Formats: sequence, C-alpha cells, structure tokens
Amino acid sequence: MRIGSSPLLDALCGEYVLGTLRGPARRRLARARREEPQVAARLRYWEETFMPEYTTRFDVAPSKRTWRALERELGLARYRPAWYRRAGFWRNWALGATFALALAVGLRTPGPESPQAPAWRPIAQLSAAGGGAPGVTAGLSADGGTLELRAARPVLAGSAQSYELWLLPAGGGAPVSLAVLGSLDARVALAPGRRPGLRAGAKLAVSVEPAGGSPTGAPTGPVILVGEVGNIS
Amino acid sequence: MLDDQAIRGLLLRAAARDEGSAAAFQRLYEASAPRLLGVALRILGRRELAEEVLHDAFVRIWDAARGFDPLAERPFAWMAAIVRHRAIDLRASHDVSRVDSYHDAPLDADPDGSLERLVEPGPGADQAAERNRAARWLRECLGRLPAFERQSLVLAYEHGLSHRELAAHLQKPLGTVKAWVRRGMASLRTCVEAHLGDAP
Repeated sequence: MRIGSSPLLDALCGEYVLGTLRGPARRRLARARREEPQVAARLRYWEETFMPEYTTRFDVAPSKRTWRALERELGLARYRPAWYRRAGFWRNWALGATFALALAVGLRTPGPESPQAPAWRPIAQLSAAGGGAPGVTAGLSADGGTLELRAARPVLAGSAQSYELWLLPAGGGAPVSLAVLGSLDARVALAPGRRPGLRAGAKLAVSVEPAGGSPTGAPTGPVILVGEVGNIS
Repeated sequence: MLDDQAIRGLLLRAAARDEGSAAAFQRLYEASAPRLLGVALRILGRRELAEEVLHDAFVRIWDAARGFDPLAERPFAWMAAIVRHRAIDLRASHDVSRVDSYHDAPLDADPDGSLERLVEPGPGADQAAERNRAARWLRECLGRLPAFERQSLVLAYEHGLSHRELAAHLQKPLGTVKAWVRRGMASLRTCVEAHLGDAP
C-alpha cells in the first residue's frame, strides 16, 4: 500500500523526524520519500516545523581533516575562480612582463631556422593583455603530436627562471602543465591524452616560474601570455 | 552566526555550481558544521562516528543543494534533518549503547534540563532562532507537555534514543513509552499548528 495515502502518514512522519521510527518502518518511509511526492512534501513540512532549533551549547569544532576530505571528495577546486582571475594574481603580472621584455631586448639574436620544420597550423595567438611581452603563436604539427610555439622575438628565460606552458581546460578546472620551457620558441611533444584538450574554448598560458618549473603543479608566478585555442586572427 | 537568511544565500550560491560555489560552501560549512557536529555527537556519543556523519551529511548537502527549496523558512533545520537521519541510521547499525559516555551531555544528570539545552534561548542562543515562529512554538509547546511525554521527546530529539532505549532509561514498560511518544508528538503537532495557524 502506498504510504502517501495512509491515515498514519503524519504519525509516521513525526516519529521519523523525532528518530523513534526505526528498522524496516524507517527504511520504508525513507524509500517512500524518494518515490511518492506526497510523502516527500509531508516529511518536508514535518522537518521544517518540528526540527528543534539547537542552541550554541551543541557546538563542537570539527577536525580540519573533515573539511579537507570534503573538499577533495567533492572536487571543490573546480568551483573556485580560475587562478588567473583570482585577486592579487595580476598584481605581479606587470613585473613579469617587464622582465620578459628586458630579456627580449638583451637577447635579440635571430632564432635558428629548423630546416626540417614540419607543416603546422596555428591554433592560438598568445598575447599579453597589457602589452610588453612579445606575442607568441602556438601551432600544431600536421600529425597533432607536436605543439610548437613561435615568438615574435626570441625570448629566453633567465638562469633562475623557467617559462611554463599551461593548458586551461575548456570546461574550466585546474590548469594542466604542458611543458617547462627555457625559451618561448619551443617544440613540445604532446602526450596523446593531452591532444583532445586542445580544443576550441581551451586556453594556453605561459607563466614565469622558478627554474625547473612550478614547484606546486599549479602556476605560481606571473602569467605573461594567454590566448584562446581556435581564436586566430 | 546561524542566520537562516545567510544559510539560504550560501546554499543557493553553492547550488549555482560556478566559480563562487566552493567559497560559499566553505562558508556554509564553517558557519554550521560545529552545531551539526554537536547534533551528531549527542546521538552517537563517539567523535569519529560523528565526524563521519558530518562528512556524509555535507556530501549530501552539496548534492541536494541544487534541489533545495529557496522558499523554505528554516534551511538550517533542513541541514540538521540530514545530519540527524544519517546519525540515527548509523546509531541503529552500530551498537551505540553509550549515550552516557559523552562527557558534555550526561544523560542521567538532569533529563528534564535537556529541554533547556535543546531549545531554550540561553544567553548564547541565536537571535535568528528567536525570530523564527516555528522554532519558538515548538519550544513553547514542548514545555506544555506532561512531564513524561516531554522528557521522552526531548531525549529522543537530543540523543536519538529508540523506544526501547527510552524504556530502559526511564525504567518504564515499552508499551507505556511508545504511548507517551505517540501522544506527545500528536499534542505537539496540535499545539504548534494551532499557534502557527497555517497548518497545511
């Protein structure tokens, strides 16, 4: 028999909310709540009206572990602002951009032309929003296995620094490191698993990191270049 | 701190599943987790089980936030219900014969005083609770019940005691205690609905 039409529905709801309804009867009502809208509405009313307002005397500080486990399990990092939009992120940006420009001026040597450069098609134009750092064109080799960066001017990282190339997934989410670079002219072999991520809507970004790359697996230094895949002008 | 308006806003922000959702959910947790952990701890008596319930309840709250009724007057009661159900289920599946073990809530010390711990606005009680009519009448009407009925309901509310545990604790026959609980809940409903005046 459907619980929703039972004359005992309110009595059952009351003892469910109180907690004295146990065993199979409790499980039946919990199931009926999922299956019968009438039961769900009635239980909501009982909970809304007959749940006591617990006082501060109940408060017990939970362990930090519980929140950390929740954060991990629910993947909450996906629902935080992207790292390059967080407050304070752009504060260091100009510094990095200026530094990159200084390097560019100091190291103005023609880049070696690779005689057997494979055919490639540009997929993204990376630029610095505030100007400063030279633009970089990112392209994919014909077989899709190599990502190539071509800088408008050659730029080498200082000895204490590296550039790190990041993929910002199209659906949002944590940046994925593609390569640690010593120069903005570079070829990067793409792992097969990375290739589908380089689709329209995803972004490529370059940050300045300590030599050897980001120590944390996420960008830590200023972002000097960013560009959207598929957005070629 | 546990302002239902604020809790509603944070729940809806978490349900939006955008880049502000994690921060809103974290604030919701920080504001409500201590109270909810206390609710679970009174029922389970063991810290590690109560933290487990808190964790599971917040997973459920995160998922269920998207279906949360924005018109619900008492979003904290909604969260507390999730915690209590989970704690009572866990209590039933464990052998939790340890109501007395939790040092802050000795069951035998003053069973009637539990009503005060549960609902009476003490100096530390939230202003928000005072503004809430349903909560106010629930407290008022609990206080008007005959002593044994009130005691049975308060013990069940606070410690999650079953009929059998109530009977053992109050040293009364099971049938008597069941009748107290049944009559107590029926009277509570009549009283609260009469005062709220808008029983559906």
